[in-house]
Amino acid sequence: MALKNHSGILFKVSIIVALFHIPLFSQDVVQYFKTNCASCHTIGGGRLTGPDLKNVTQRQSREWLVKWILDPEGILNSGDPYALKLQKESRGAIMRRTPGINQDLANALLNLIDEESKKEKSQFAGTRLSDRPLLPGDIEEGRKLFTGQKALINGGPSCIGCHHVNSFNGILGGGRLGPNLTRAYARLQGRKGLSAWLIAPPGLTMSPVFKEHPLDEKEILPLVAFLKNETEKDAPQSSALMINFILFGLGGVVVLLVLFDLIWSRRFKGVRQALLKESKQIFYSKR
Amino acid sequence: MMQNATLFDYFNLFWFAILPYIALFTFFLITIQRYTKTGYSYSSLSSQFLENKIHFWGLVPFHYGIILILIGHFIGFLIPKQVLIWNSNPLRLYVIEVTAFIGGLFTLIGLVNIFIRRLTDARAKVVTSNIDWIVLSILLFQIVTGLLVAIFNSWGTQWFAASVAPYLWSVLKFNPNIAFVTPLPLTAKLHIIGAYTIVLLFPFTRLVHMLVIPNPYLWRKPQLVRWYWNRKKIRTQKSI
Repeated sequence: MALKNHSGILFKVSIIVALFHIPLFSQDVVQYFKTNCASCHTIGGGRLTGPDLKNVTQRQSREWLVKWILDPEGILNSGDPYALKLQKESRGAIMRRTPGINQDLANALLNLIDEESKKEKSQFAGTRLSDRPLLPGDIEEGRKLFTGQKALINGGPSCIGCHHVNSFNGILGGGRLGPNLTRAYARLQGRKGLSAWLIAPPGLTMSPVFKEHPLDEKEILPLVAFLKNETEKDAPQSSALMINFILFGLGGVVVLLVLFDLIWSRRFKGVRQALLKESKQIFYSKR
Repeated sequence: MMQNATLFDYFNLFWFAILPYIALFTFFLITIQRYTKTGYSYSSLSSQFLENKIHFWGLVPFHYGIILILIGHFIGFLIPKQVLIWNSNPLRLYVIEVTAFIGGLFTLIGLVNIFIRRLTDARAKVVTSNIDWIVLSILLFQIVTGLLVAIFNSWGTQWFAASVAPYLWSVLKFNPNIAFVTPLPLTAKLHIIGAYTIVLLFPFTRLVHMLVIPNPYLWRKPQLVRWYWNRKKIRTQKSI
């Protein structure tokens, strides 16, 4: 009976899920590759953070690859020699389990890679950005994009809302929702890796936001130049920023409390205390 | 559709795609029902006459703080693009963040005083029901998580506009996109769940007074309520 009730609830939940069509579990495979894989892998465009996936199914068995896609950290922890070799080649970067992945999707991704590998130039052959050298003007342009002083063309939020860089001299610094980006250029192994990351940010928080408001190609090189400059300067991190914020808040509260006390200073004296006094006098005179 | 979905995915689905509808449905159903059946129960059940000194330092900071904070959240939800434009100058971003933080601290100070008053003043304690304690506890939880988010996951005004506002709109359009909120830090997720819980409990509590704000209160002449009789004598009369 209890089981029957339970399955009834599950059935209703499934109907609700179907009705609302939760996008987390229903992504098109090409879009899925773009959003979740292309920031670290190319197909025929050379290595980024992860290896070039051209003809990957000829280098390793499909069965192993599916297992790897479904649970990369589990396979690494099991001490699998091929997985450890991949990790070494990626300079220690670890592949994460991508959101909503399952066996069918993993197979579909491998089919996509097979198809793209046959092409002379895959749509995932790598960044479509120009190879021009980074210019000093790019750094300033990147700084403006980072702080929001120059709005992003496609309406995305500026970086400062969630990220900090150590050289930023704003009195309260950048945001703390996302990681400090001072060494992002080094972490993503340079221009190619960082550019690929910015084209389709794979971070779980950024991905849904920037899928709808992607960075424009013209914005990526200045941001790369700015972050490269940050890595090169490698300024020390200030610990005072969070304390400044708290002190500003506490200071404001104290000022306002004093102000409120002054504004309503006659609140008790003027009305209620006089009333109370009078009432007490009447009360005691009648006793 | 949900192959390999973990228990965690189901939790997220419940808290962010199902709870909002339970909360909104209950809110509208019970609020309307209560108004039509017992309209006069729409009251803040003021206990100001019972104790007025701590009351001032509880109610005044609490209401100024919470009104500021609620308006801020509502603006972020209604016009997120304009909020992002406002924040495009770091100084303006800081001003709005510090203002909101002060509002949050003000609300906290007010609420702590309300707790102290209702715990220590015998007369205020007597008129505090169980649902009042539940409301106060959830409000405290909500303010503490909000302040923790403001400090440790800054800058909330920016990412609220970018991530939470589209999620809330997707909920209202009956197509919830929980991918916007599932990666948020635990404190932020608890804050969202706390908000839905408040909406859910709203019609069962004295919070309904928000819907019947006596606006003329702001401009009408002060009214003095006073008594000239011996209250002790009245209380001891056998007829009462």
